[in-house]
Amino acid sequence: MILEGYLTVSAVLFAMGLVMFISRRNSVAILMAVELIINAAAINFVAFSRFVPSAEARLDGQIFAIFIIILATAEAVVALAIVLALYKEKKHIQADQLVGLHG
Amino acid sequence: MEIAELFFYLFSAMILGLGGIVAFSKNLLHSAFALFFVLFGIAGFYVLLGGDFLAMVQIMVYAGGVCVLLIFATMLSNDISQPEKSNLSFQTVLSVIAGGGFVLLLLAAFEKTTWNVVVPGEMSATTNTIGKLLLNEYILPFEVISFLLLAAMVGAIMLVKKGENS
Repeated sequence: MILEGYLTVSAVLFAMGLVMFISRRNSVAILMAVELIINAAAINFVAFSRFVPSAEARLDGQIFAIFIIILATAEAVVALAIVLALYKEKKHIQADQLVGLHG
Repeated sequence: MEIAELFFYLFSAMILGLGGIVAFSKNLLHSAFALFFVLFGIAGFYVLLGGDFLAMVQIMVYAGGVCVLLIFATMLSNDISQPEKSNLSFQTVLSVIAGGGFVLLLLAAFEKTTWNVVVPGEMSATTNTIGKLLLNEYILPFEVISFLLLAAMVGAIMLVKKGENS
């Protein structure tokens, strides 16, 4: 079944994003991992809207994917602004050394 | 049908191969450029799934916007003279175990689940329908997300300016 093909690709992509998210030190790399995870989710929405559509709302999955893309863009903009502000302050963006909020 | 399958495998190889480079490359710039092509592969998936408008949005917003932004941030915030050390990782073994276990769990779930798959109909242009849906059924989320984009823009400017003053 071809639906399983899309689901498998998106699952593996999600896991790659997860591994990268856990293991990287660089904040920009962590942001890239979030992008991978978000895209894996969006593939699932579109695949389900093609293969398992509801009768009266055939394009709902694609609308969700559009909103996901917009949200991911807004998130990337704010996160990169934080990273650049942080770089000006600390001269590095290594996530494991940013422990100022530990209290 | 055969051509669609061929393209499915082509885009899958593109997404997974280059996704591996994104996840495991030691050089952050290599990761950023590989991410660019991963996003192109996902746009190809959207075309295969009948989302022509969505594929264009993906290419323009993601590949054209987010990816360029990520490459800019990489270059602005790293010591470019030592690109090999730009993307160090720690606890790699543990995280690979976590990710691999998660994939196996999901694949087992796919095996057990029976989906109510219908035979997909003919593909048609979706732009017209999506435009009508966005301005009728989904008008409230559309307006909320427009406000969110405005807030994100103002917030990004504020954050970067604040760093400059101090």
